[in-house]
Amino acid sequence: MKVSRRDLLIGTSGAAAGLLLTPVPWKLLGDVSIWTQNWPWIPEPVHGPAESKHSFCTLCSSGCGIRVRLAANCPVGIAGVSTNPVTRGALCPLGFAAHQMNWHPQRIREVLHHGRASSWTEAQAAFEKACSEGPLAILDGRPGRAASSLLKTFAGKRSGSYRVVFDKESQTLEPYATWSGVSMTELGYDFENARTILSFGAPLLDGWGPPGRFTRLWSERSAGQEEPQLRLIQVEASLSRTARAAWRRVAIHGGSEAALAAGVARVLLEEHLVAMQRPMPQMSLAEAASQTCLTPDAIRVLARTVVENLPVVAIAQDGNPAVAALNILLGTVAASGGIVRKAVHGAPHAAAEPKIDSVRAVLLDSSVPWEFVPQTDAEVFRFSAWDGGGNRADWLLPAPGFLEELTDLPAAPTSPVEMYAIAQNLAVPPANVKSASQFLLQIDSTLPVIEKLILTRCEEILRTRQGSVYGEKQLAVTNFGSAQKLEEELRRGAVWVGEPPRLGSFRCELKEWPTEIPVSRAADWTTAWVPPVLPPLATKLYQESNLREKPARRNA
Amino acid sequence: MSARYGIVIDLDRCTGCGACMIACAAENNVPPAREQATSRTGLTPMLVHKISNGLKGAAEREAFIPVTCMQCGKETPCVSVCPQQAVEVDETTGIVMQMPQRCLGCRYCMAACPYHARYFNWWDPSWPAGMEKSLNPGVSVRMRGVVEKCNLCHARLHSAKEKAAAAGKKEINSADCIPACAEACPTGAILFGNLADENDPVSRAAQSPDAFRLLARLGTEPKVYYKSGQAWVRAMGERNSSPAPEVAHV
Repeated sequence: MKVSRRDLLIGTSGAAAGLLLTPVPWKLLGDVSIWTQNWPWIPEPVHGPAESKHSFCTLCSSGCGIRVRLAANCPVGIAGVSTNPVTRGALCPLGFAAHQMNWHPQRIREVLHHGRASSWTEAQAAFEKACSEGPLAILDGRPGRAASSLLKTFAGKRSGSYRVVFDKESQTLEPYATWSGVSMTELGYDFENARTILSFGAPLLDGWGPPGRFTRLWSERSAGQEEPQLRLIQVEASLSRTARAAWRRVAIHGGSEAALAAGVARVLLEEHLVAMQRPMPQMSLAEAASQTCLTPDAIRVLARTVVENLPVVAIAQDGNPAVAALNILLGTVAASGGIVRKAVHGAPHAAAEPKIDSVRAVLLDSSVPWEFVPQTDAEVFRFSAWDGGGNRADWLLPAPGFLEELTDLPAAPTSPVEMYAIAQNLAVPPANVKSASQFLLQIDSTLPVIEKLILTRCEEILRTRQGSVYGEKQLAVTNFGSAQKLEEELRRGAVWVGEPPRLGSFRCELKEWPTEIPVSRAADWTTAWVPPVLPPLATKLYQESNLREKPARRNA
Repeated sequence: MSARYGIVIDLDRCTGCGACMIACAAENNVPPAREQATSRTGLTPMLVHKISNGLKGAAEREAFIPVTCMQCGKETPCVSVCPQQAVEVDETTGIVMQMPQRCLGCRYCMAACPYHARYFNWWDPSWPAGMEKSLNPGVSVRMRGVVEKCNLCHARLHSAKEKAAAAGKKEINSADCIPACAEACPTGAILFGNLADENDPVSRAAQSPDAFRLLARLGTEPKVYYKSGQAWVRAMGERNSSPAPEVAHV
């Protein structure tokens, strides 16, 4: 049979039309669609054995309980742990992206001397030389850890000083520590038993302390209720997140918190609303009203409202002594629902001042906030996992990042009870990073190692026979036969919580109303974030939404 | 029995912290913002809007509204306009599923969505070097040129189905497939559950007199409910979802 050109065309057209009736072209279209989404430059998640482990967030001193999802031994997801008695499953927004921080572009991966690449050998030689030439100062941002003990021991051996850079929350307790002689780390706020909280600009619902503690409390006892179980009164110039959610908001002139505290105190004393009769503030009610832009009647109403629902505790955004004095008048110092002292007392810590004189070397642990810059002529050695920019340290030393080192966690700042937890190292650190304790151990091998210090702490806890361990289930400490067993449980993500605070265990003496009061300043929203950089996903909050202001100080 | 998964968001409990946004992005392998990205061109399957009552002084009030795919249950606008069948309503869960593999990127669905809850992938997804190791292996990374939206963390739903199947059960437990946003909310403002189950807390919360749905008048039967004791916030629900001048982002 002869095939003509016409037959060929008919056949081809018929085949093409017939093909459309088969699944082939549609399958091809679907496959092409999928292929075009699998270009080699599109990142592919790493696959491997999946598991989930409990640990603790180490990015700030709150130490929130976290559940880490791992794939091929690499953290790929973070979630809260609902069994943690303090954080109760809550985390701050940045904590959910913390596992990505180890690959942050601003991660420090090599030793830098005045901005130029150097080596650990040179850094060690420079540190030893400086130490041999004069005194040493070691600064720590999170006292009470095993690493802190090591740093303190080293400073003691070299006749140096060990100082603590306290976080913003702890600084609010400074006046009570000064007036009572009790260490700031032993004091805390008993929010759980308070019924009214008078906040002078403290961002209680925006990164103040462990996110799960106060936010959960507010959510359960106050949010959206006309007559809440917990009254939150926010005194603040602007409509902040806390002011927006408060039961009552008192808008005052920025920086006049001390004047309002004095005005409220005067009304409390004049109208005999409190048991105490002194000290009377020197400032008159009219003067307080003038400074705060409130009317005297508004201050009177506030004072009466404050004592309506007791116990009440006042809290400042900083170490404002007038607010602390108001708490003394209200009788909430060393009382339930107020300022309390932990049942277990540790050694006091000296606070670091930015100006450091008469030393030859200053070593800053990676827990010291980036914005703390020592004013000194000494050679500064700063450990940090990330470079926040504008650093004035002579030596920038790469430290382990998120979950890259074994560390222990004492109670969060302002916690009313003693706590202890262990954060496992679940991520593999890059080569060439060392923590301050590893660095010092190389210089002095007689120092105790972190593992041993952690075990010693577990032995101490076991000896007290107090408190409970919160893991998969709650167990009394007495259930643990040995310190090793307790350590094992803590390494699995459990947390030890000590006894409740003992009320009346300290006294604050106040003869005169404080007069020299620094002006309070509102803090940036990233202040609570201790690492010098934000996770890249934080751009969702300030670039792809209008939820937050773009951070001016730090570069994400 | 078919489920009808939905969310109830208590706006009086929302502090606008943004934990839901970050947790959502981390769970679903959403990349960090490109330099040029804005709130319109970025990828935010969960986006928290700050709204105000427009008044000044002591009468000024603000609230935060987390907006995500409303999982419309009736005449779902995006489903009806998609030429590729890249959007489907899963009859067994009620979830509006987006299949980026089928998506052509025509953006009809974005135009049709009355809630502006869909986002176009304008750029290739990219992370700082090495950070791809931290991506969730349960969710594939989407290519540029496709539309994305909230799938109520369908990867978790698949895991819950596998878990139920392994246990020999036909029904999944809604507690096993809680989306990342609900899991992350530090105040417990976001509740997830089965709206078809009368005993589910979500179902009860949706029946509250303070509950409302955004643009309910359109009749698309969203499965995302909001709750607020503040009348001005509830009144916002019937306005256009894009911020009007008096309620513009502050």
